[in-house]
Amino acid sequence: MLALALALLLAGPADDDDLDRIPADEPTAHVTAAANGSVDARAYAEDALTLTTARDVVVPFPQTVPRAQNRTSLDLSLEWSPLAALSFVASDRVDVVVEDGTDVLSSQTIRNELRELYLGWEAVPGTYLELGRINVRNGAALGYNPTDFFRARTLIGQPSLDPSVLRSNRLGTVVVRAQTIWNGASASLTFAPKLGEPPAIPGDVGGLDPRIDATNAAHRGLAEASFAFGDLSTQALVYLEDEGSKVGIDLTYPFGRSVIGYLEWAGGPEKSLVARALEYGTKTGSLPAGTRTPIPTDGGEPFMNDLAAGGSWTIGTTLTLNLEYHFHQAGLSAADWDRWFDAGRANPAAAGALWYIRGHAAAELEPLAMHEAFVRAAWPHFVVDHLELDGLAFVSLVDGSTLAQLTARLDVSNTWSATLSLSANVGPAHSERGSFPQAFTSIFELVWYL
Amino acid sequence: MSSVLVLAAATAAAEPPSAKDIVAAADRARNPEVPYRSTLTLVDYVRGKAAERGVVLAVDVKLDRSSGQYRNLVRYVEPPRDAGKLVLLDASKMWFYDPASRTSVRISPQQRLTGQASDGDVLTVNLAHDYDAKLLGEETIKDADRAERDAWHLELRAATDDAMYSRLELWVEKQTYRAVKAKFFSDSGRLLKVAYYRKPAEVLGAIRPTETVIIDAVDTNLVTTVSSADYRQIEIPDEWFQRESLPRLKEK
Repeated sequence: MLALALALLLAGPADDDDLDRIPADEPTAHVTAAANGSVDARAYAEDALTLTTARDVVVPFPQTVPRAQNRTSLDLSLEWSPLAALSFVASDRVDVVVEDGTDVLSSQTIRNELRELYLGWEAVPGTYLELGRINVRNGAALGYNPTDFFRARTLIGQPSLDPSVLRSNRLGTVVVRAQTIWNGASASLTFAPKLGEPPAIPGDVGGLDPRIDATNAAHRGLAEASFAFGDLSTQALVYLEDEGSKVGIDLTYPFGRSVIGYLEWAGGPEKSLVARALEYGTKTGSLPAGTRTPIPTDGGEPFMNDLAAGGSWTIGTTLTLNLEYHFHQAGLSAADWDRWFDAGRANPAAAGALWYIRGHAAAELEPLAMHEAFVRAAWPHFVVDHLELDGLAFVSLVDGSTLAQLTARLDVSNTWSATLSLSANVGPAHSERGSFPQAFTSIFELVWYL
Repeated sequence: MSSVLVLAAATAAAEPPSAKDIVAAADRARNPEVPYRSTLTLVDYVRGKAAERGVVLAVDVKLDRSSGQYRNLVRYVEPPRDAGKLVLLDASKMWFYDPASRTSVRISPQQRLTGQASDGDVLTVNLAHDYDAKLLGEETIKDADRAERDAWHLELRAATDDAMYSRLELWVEKQTYRAVKAKFFSDSGRLLKVAYYRKPAEVLGAIRPTETVIIDAVDTNLVTTVSSADYRQIEIPDEWFQRESLPRLKEK
């Protein structure tokens, strides 16, 4: 009885406390959602200051590493539906880039990045036809997407190494695409025609050139089907290209209330990363004809596997961790890395070709190392409500070296955000990350949503 | 609505309804059974003062008659940095879509709670489906406006994996079968939040609460109001509730 009386005594004031916390003033007025609006536009202005600390490396880097760069951008995305079944989509960014070592008014100062420009038509309910430059993206994983077959040479100036940021800023591919969606399943066919010759890497990124050649250097096709088996979400893909057709699969599955597991695999006949890089370099004139491979390859095209497997785990209501294993069979093994460093030591003149291999892999968005781990932690409301803290690391499982980044983003208001990213290449001098000349990079970014 | 009346008649005849029936009637009193679109405005109050920045969500809701659960498509309208982002909530199938990257990421029920969209379907949770209910008694409690209400006091424990919380306490007004108040508890038994349902108004054929006041029990400085408006019945094809449709929904 005493316990009951005590409970009632305690319960009463607690409930009154609840009522005391209910705000007396009225909330702000409703904003009616423009659910069926014919024009949807998003725009923001951004300034990103990048400072880099360089270091001496065992295999000389053939270019000068800019110590400071400032990029000011205006970013616009627009979707216009003049008719219910018709949509016009445009996504573009204009950059003004100033960096040390480059004239302020050079051909590289002003850059236009035409990410998307296409027309969509819902021919019959649930069936869509699209034509134009589209960001065609597939893949369930976060750090590496083996089934993201249209990813090569799509990257544009980035304010972060975070894959989720990289995906937001990339060039689309000129395609014609048909997709039909049923209840619980979908299928699509995509064809990307060859519209230019493969460009050199690194390419000329200045001016108004839409760089169609970067994304449409070969005829390519993609067939995709998605379906669900209970909670298992499945996507099967067939990718056709003269050099490197592949099949792939994406799977996601929930484990309990806080874990999502995913697996992404692609495979097909493919040359090694080194062989492909040197072939591309000589073909596009970046490397002298007859450049000999500093790392022996047999030139064959065995069946190569690419895999990204992992999961996300949300702890409480605050922190989400992603952990992934990446396998890139065409990448460099431990023995290949030894040969890479041996070749650089034995013949400094080979440095250009050696670094070209790495630059080619970066442009193709494929891992260098055969085995890699990726970890990311996202903490959306860190200490205060509008501060998000993210950390990520790519760890080479071949040599243990790591690329790590810590990012803090503060949403100062509804329209302003400030972000500070600190990243470091960590590892011994004779390791993948430790051999990079960029030791430490900091990026301060200010965004104004218009 | 008719089943609510039947239950009310049963109550008048002094035959106490079962806890399950009370919760089911409260679900029906809170949620339209026709597919609809509405706008939710979320305003945070910190120490009683409204934050300048609000979140506006457009929510499409459809009852899945085979499972008895509601399916939600939550689209961010405000703030500008989040405009166009989508969250699909369909039982265990939850996806987050970002139009900037054209990327859909599958999220877990727990991860859903880390974002503001966790409040997006606060009005459309089918408690009778996800929880086992037990009638604790009858009480007179104060509603959000401090008016006294005769209510059933129920305890709900998670019965399916889809249940967002392991335990709830729910107070349902005896006369109207409208929820007055709810308490939400974590797996460890910690009180997470207290919700008051208020501002009843005519919505799609019935009187329903149009505002939920969510009192954060962890951050004792924080209260969030979720106001709903602009209800209209619309056709929502079942195929909208899957990952592949998310990039297309802007076109609808």
